Amino acid sequence: MSSWRTRVVMVLVLLVGVAAFGWPFLASPDSELSQMGHSTDASFLFVALMGLMALALLAEMTSGGVDAKTVAVLGVLAAAGGSLRVLSAGTAGLEPMFFLLVVAGRVLGASLGFLLGALALLASAFLTAGVGPWTPFQMIAAGWVCLGAGLLPAATGRRERWMLTAYGLVCGLAYGVVMNLWFWPFLGDSAPAGAGFVPGGGAAVNLGHYAVFYVTTSLAWDLPRGLLTAALTLLASGSLLRALRRSLRQARFDAPVVFADPAQRSL
Amino acid sequence: MSPALHPLPRLLHPAAWWLWGVGLAVAASRTLNPFLLLLIVAVATWVVLERRELGSSNALVAFLVIGLVAIGLRIVMVTLLGGGVTGRVVLVRLPEVPLPDWTSGVRIGGPVTLEGTLFAVYQGLQLATILACLGAVNALASPRRLLRYVPATLYEIGTAVVVALTFAPQLVEDAQRVRTARRLRGHSSRSLAELGRIAVPVLVGALERSLDLAASMESRGYGRAVRRTARSTRLAGVLTLVGVGGVVVGLYGLLDGTSPLLLGMPTLALGVACAAAALLVGARRDPRTHYRRDPWGLSEWLVAAAGVVPAVVMIVAGTRHWDGIVPQQVPVELPAVPLVLVAAILVGATAAWTAPVPPLLARSRVARTTSAQRELVAS
Repeated sequence: MSSWRTRVVMVLVLLVGVAAFGWPFLASPDSELSQMGHSTDASFLFVALMGLMALALLAEMTSGGVDAKTVAVLGVLAAAGGSLRVLSAGTAGLEPMFFLLVVAGRVLGASLGFLLGALALLASAFLTAGVGPWTPFQMIAAGWVCLGAGLLPAATGRRERWMLTAYGLVCGLAYGVVMNLWFWPFLGDSAPAGAGFVPGGGAAVNLGHYAVFYVTTSLAWDLPRGLLTAALTLLASGSLLRALRRSLRQARFDAPVVFADPAQRSL
Repeated sequence: MSPALHPLPRLLHPAAWWLWGVGLAVAASRTLNPFLLLLIVAVATWVVLERRELGSSNALVAFLVIGLVAIGLRIVMVTLLGGGVTGRVVLVRLPEVPLPDWTSGVRIGGPVTLEGTLFAVYQGLQLATILACLGAVNALASPRRLLRYVPATLYEIGTAVVVALTFAPQLVEDAQRVRTARRLRGHSSRSLAELGRIAVPVLVGALERSLDLAASMESRGYGRAVRRTARSTRLAGVLTLVGVGGVVVGLYGLLDGTSPLLLGMPTLALGVACAAAALLVGARRDPRTHYRRDPWGLSEWLVAAAGVVPAVVMIVAGTRHWDGIVPQQVPVELPAVPLVLVAAILVGATAAWTAPVPPLLARSRVARTTSAQRELVAS
C-alpha cells in the first residue's frame, strides 16, 4: 500500500496542494500566474488541477488492490464522518466530524488515514448533494488532517489524549485558514478594503491582506470548530481510541493472505 | 412530433447533465452583467422545474439560499469595511472608526458609495449564479449516479464510497437507537461527553457490521479477479509519477517569473495529460461487466451542447471584451444586454425540451392529465 512510488506521488501532490492553496503568496509579481490572477483564471486552473490530482492520488494509493476489509472499514468510517457532517450542517462551524477524523486517522495510520479523510469528505458531499469546485480542495485538506494525526509521535494514555486534543485545536483552525484560500482570490475587488487579493502584489502584502480577511470574516467560524474538536477529543478520545483499536485488531490488516501452491499441497 | 425530440421517459446520462451545468457555471463565471446572470439562474431553475425526477433531493433551493446569503454578506462587508472600488456617488456616510497606522488600508465605516455597493452586488450575484448552476445539476442528476462511471482504476474508491453512502442512514438510525436507550436509563443530558458516549457504541457496532460486509464481499469474489497485468500496473504507476511530477514542475514555472516559458503551461499540460492517461490505462483492460449502463444518445448530445454553447460564446465574448460582459463600474450605467449573449444563454434552456422526461415524473404527469380529462368528460 505504501510503496516508495505512492510516497513520492503523495509528496508531489502535497507540493501541488501547497501551490494550489498558497499561490496568491508564492507567485512572483511578473510570473504567468500573476497575469492570470488579474482575471480569475488562476483559480479555475487550480480547481481543475486539484480534482485531477485527488483522483490520481487515490488511484495510485489503491493501485496495488485493496482488500475487502479495508474497503469496508474505510467505507463505514467515511459514512460516520459524512453523516456527522450532514447532521451538523448549518451550525456555524460546529463540525464534530473533525473529532472523528483526528481519532480515526491516529488509529489507521498515515496512508489509510489520508484515504479516510478524502473519502469522508467525498461521501458527505454526495450525501448532501453538495458537489462543487470546493470538493477536491476539501478532500485533500481533510486527508492531510487525518494524515497528520497518523504521523504524530507514538504516545499512550493521557499524553496521547492531550497530544490529540492540541492537534484537534490546531487542525480545526488550520483547516479554515487553508480552505478560505481557494476562493479568496475569487473575491477580487469586492473584498473589503485592505483585505483583498492583489495580483502581483508580492507575498508580504497579500499575507497581510489575507490575515485581515481571515480575522474579520472566518475566525468566528473556525474558532468554534477548533474548540469543539479539542473538547470532544479531550472528553471522548480515550474510549473511542480503545474501541477503534479493538475493532481494527479484529480486522487484522497486517496478516497477508497467501495461497499455497496446489501442486505442493498434493505432495 | 418526431421520436428524437420526444424520447421515451428515462433518466438522462448523468455526465450529460454535469456537462450542461458546468457549462452554464463557466458561462456565469465570465460575466458580471446582472441581467445575464439572472437569465442564467432563470434558465437553470426552469430546467430543474421541467426535468427533475420526483423524489430526488432538490438541492437547488439550498444552493439558492446560500447564494442569497453570499450576496447579503458581500453587501454588509462592503458597507462596513469598504471595498476595492472607490466611487463618486456617496449614498451614506457611516461614522468611521479611527484605526492605528499599522493597519494600513483597513477601514471601518466611512462613506458608502453606490458604485462600490453595486459592484459587490454584481460579484455576489455571479457567485450565487455559479452556485445555482451547481445546485441545478445536483438536483437533476444525483452525483451518486456518477459513481457508476468512475474508471476501473478508482474501483476500490468507488466501492468504499458506495459502502459509505449505504451505511450513513443506518448509522444515523443506530445513533438514535443508542440515544433512546441511554435516555431510558436516565442519561438525558445533551453535553459533549454524552455525544462521545453515544459515538463509541455506534462506531463499534458499525465496524463489526463492516467486517461482516467484508466477509460477504469476499465470499462473492470481490478482489479475487486478476484485473490488471503487472505491465499495465507499472505503466500506470510510471505515468502517474511523470504526470504529477510534470504538474509540479509546470506549477513552479507558472509561479516563478524568471523561468523560461516552456517550463510553465506546456509542462503543466503534459503532466495533466500523463496523469489523466494513468487513470485510463489501468481501466482499459477491465473485464468487469456493468449492470444497465445509461445509453448515450441524441438527447445526451443535445443537452451537453446546450451547456457547452453558452460557455464557449461567453469565453469568446470575454476575451474579445464585448459590450455588456463586464458592466462599467465608475460612473454607474445601466449595463447593456447584447442579444447574441442572451441567445447563447437561452440555448441552455433547450435542455428542458431535449432531455427525456424522467420516468416517475412522466408517470405522474400522465396520471394528472388523465384525471383532468376524466373530470372534463364527467362535467
